[in-house]
Amino acid sequence: MNDPRTARLIDIVLRCYPARWRRRHGDEAGELAALLVRDGTPAGSIALSYLAGAAREWLAPRPGRPLTMVAGALLIVVCSLGVSAGLLGSAGPATAASTSQERGRAHCRPGSPGSVPDLIPDVIPAVGRPPLIIGEARHGRSC
Amino acid sequence: MIRRDGRAGQDVLRRVGEASVLILISLADGPKHGYVLIQDIKELVGVELGPGTLYGALDRLERLGLIEPLPADDRRHPYRITAPGAAALRVHLDSLERVSAAGRLRLQLGGIG
Repeated sequence: MNDPRTARLIDIVLRCYPARWRRRHGDEAGELAALLVRDGTPAGSIALSYLAGAAREWLAPRPGRPLTMVAGALLIVVCSLGVSAGLLGSAGPATAASTSQERGRAHCRPGSPGSVPDLIPDVIPAVGRPPLIIGEARHGRSC
Repeated sequence: MIRRDGRAGQDVLRRVGEASVLILISLADGPKHGYVLIQDIKELVGVELGPGTLYGALDRLERLGLIEPLPADDRRHPYRITAPGAAALRVHLDSLERVSAAGRLRLQLGGIG
């Protein structure tokens, strides 16, 4: 990736995945993102796709990860999104100003399910309008 | 579940999502890694898989025993379809054909299509 900001964005998003996933796919995922950016895919839509994938990784029940832990993580994500949406909705310009000040500090902490929503205010302004990308819907098409 | 002899008793792909089916179709003619899979599927059906979706689907298919990883080529990890994966894909495509035929027949009977 030529643009260091894009590389940093992808790096931050990939850090949102569990360590097990990063060990397995991390290097290839970074290279894949670079190739897709080179082909003209907007970095924002790649980052969003990885972000959604990271959320799914944390929330999917796995052997050794009890369902209560998954439910807890889901609850944290939903509450954080609700609080973020509430803050964004109630304070428009003030929020935008504080978001830009916070930008340098926002990052994902590996191993923390609550870190996904922390990143969202940092990502959304740079995203623009992502193209049609298929999601992992269980039934039918999801974009 | 997929049987070890490679025969699928039921359409296991009905619940895995469209991305997983497209990946299996792409792997049906030979092993591929992530970037080639995305390009191939885009060319084949005009759908651009997101990279996050791709890795989620690959992990799920591998857990189900429908694909298997090959030795890594530099950073890239190619995957190939397994015998149970090919059998499951056949069952799923047969099922889609039946649904398609039934749909066309109903349209014909209704005088719409």
